[in-house]
Amino acid sequence: MFALIKREIEDHIAYFIGAAAFSAVFIIMSISVIHRYQPRHGPPVFSILLGVPAVTIVIFGICAMGATQMYLDRTRKISALLSTLAVSRNRILLARIITGILAILILLVPLTIAAGILVRLFTPPIPMYPGMVFEISVVVFLMAVACYCIGLQIGWNSNALTPSLGAIFLPCILVSLILIKGFGVHIVVILVLFIVASLIRTWHTFMKTSL
Amino acid sequence: MDENVIKVENLVKYFDGRCVLDGINLNVPRGCIYGLLGRNGSGKTTIIRILLGLEPPTRGQTFLLDTESTELSAKVHGRIGYVAEGHNLIQNYRVGRLIKLCKDLSLQWNDGFFNHLIETFRLPTDRRVKELSIGMRAQLNLSLAMAIDPELLILDDPTLGMDTVVRRHFLELAIELIAQQGRTILFCSHILGDVERIADRIGILAAGKLVVDCPLEELKERVKKLRVIFPESAPANLHLKEIINQQNHGREMVITVANWNQQKQAILDTFKPSSCTEIPMSLEDIFIECTKPNPIPLPAEEQET
Repeated sequence: MFALIKREIEDHIAYFIGAAAFSAVFIIMSISVIHRYQPRHGPPVFSILLGVPAVTIVIFGICAMGATQMYLDRTRKISALLSTLAVSRNRILLARIITGILAILILLVPLTIAAGILVRLFTPPIPMYPGMVFEISVVVFLMAVACYCIGLQIGWNSNALTPSLGAIFLPCILVSLILIKGFGVHIVVILVLFIVASLIRTWHTFMKTSL
Repeated sequence: MDENVIKVENLVKYFDGRCVLDGINLNVPRGCIYGLLGRNGSGKTTIIRILLGLEPPTRGQTFLLDTESTELSAKVHGRIGYVAEGHNLIQNYRVGRLIKLCKDLSLQWNDGFFNHLIETFRLPTDRRVKELSIGMRAQLNLSLAMAIDPELLILDDPTLGMDTVVRRHFLELAIELIAQQGRTILFCSHILGDVERIADRIGILAAGKLVVDCPLEELKERVKKLRVIFPESAPANLHLKEIINQQNHGREMVITVANWNQQKQAILDTFKPSSCTEIPMSLEDIFIECTKPNPIPLPAEEQET
């Protein structure tokens, strides 16, 4: 399993570097902006100016990673080779998903830690309650995993244009859902159900398709 | 434990409504070198892909090493060496990296033998797979398949792209080593000379059916090509069953007959031929006769005439 995960990381190292770099840049920008403007009254403009592009990049970046993993697998016939070695398809897919989650964690863990520290150092622009950063982080993590799962399906179904285009709109719907429902338990349940359904679909397709 | 390492039971496969395999039954016993032959598109690769679980069957079941192909575990896969047609290697990897990956993902790895093969084939480990010639890719694929000391080796046109010298060298090396250790080989190739040299048993696919499945020597015994000279013009119909091919030229008749036996010889004798001589047939000749339209089946069991 370790060899499979290592192979996935090496093949998609650009995404790991991108995630770490994005995380670092976002933290630096946030610190500099917060330090300069010392926001106290209401959500400032900078949170929108930084947040919207950041969320867009994260969503489509993670989605792209899943899609790339599956697309390259198909075009380079990687699983066709691996599954003739002492490896089952289950393990190939599991290693791929673990790699995707690792990339997400590399992106989000530093951001979460930084957010936690910044909230303590600076008075937040909106009232906070204990565990709010954790709750937001969980939802953002699940959202990222959901986007990654969508990417996996787009990559595997890349021959069919309509389902792929449809799948691209799914992250937008999920983001809208978060904006409407907030960061509560409801959205966690919805996202978990969505992830489970997506993974089952991906697993079923991956197991049954010709390699 | 079953003596048959490969079992195919009533295998049917359709591609886009087109029947590629139509009720194939096939058994390959342990230690056998089985040559699976067929024209392009006859379904050889499809059988292999279904056996390895890379392709789902439409109907029927296939088993490798006592395990159903759709449920092959990593452990069972680790006992099977496979060389795919076209050599499915990860093209953008360097050779060294691909070797390391395969080594890491193997249950066992014969370093000594693998290094010997790499040196013999003079494979550069620092080049990318896509930069290798087709022949070198074939050699690499073969070396990787052999390095795991496979209990079962499946070779789908393994010598494709190799020059004659390398092909001969490889076949001698590989087959000697594996056959000595009693391993089973399923071998598909269009180079029938190679198959004839190494196979114990032959299967020929034609029109989606396995029209031949018997030991090579038996096949040569059962398919006869005869030149028969009659005192007058050759009869249009000999009333023999299982005539694969018949050509009349005046007094001369050249017939290819399946399952030749004494009964058939007696029927032929009733026409009082002036002479009857056997024309020696190579595997290639038999293959060409058997893959003509409406082939006569020659299954494993002896057929009654």
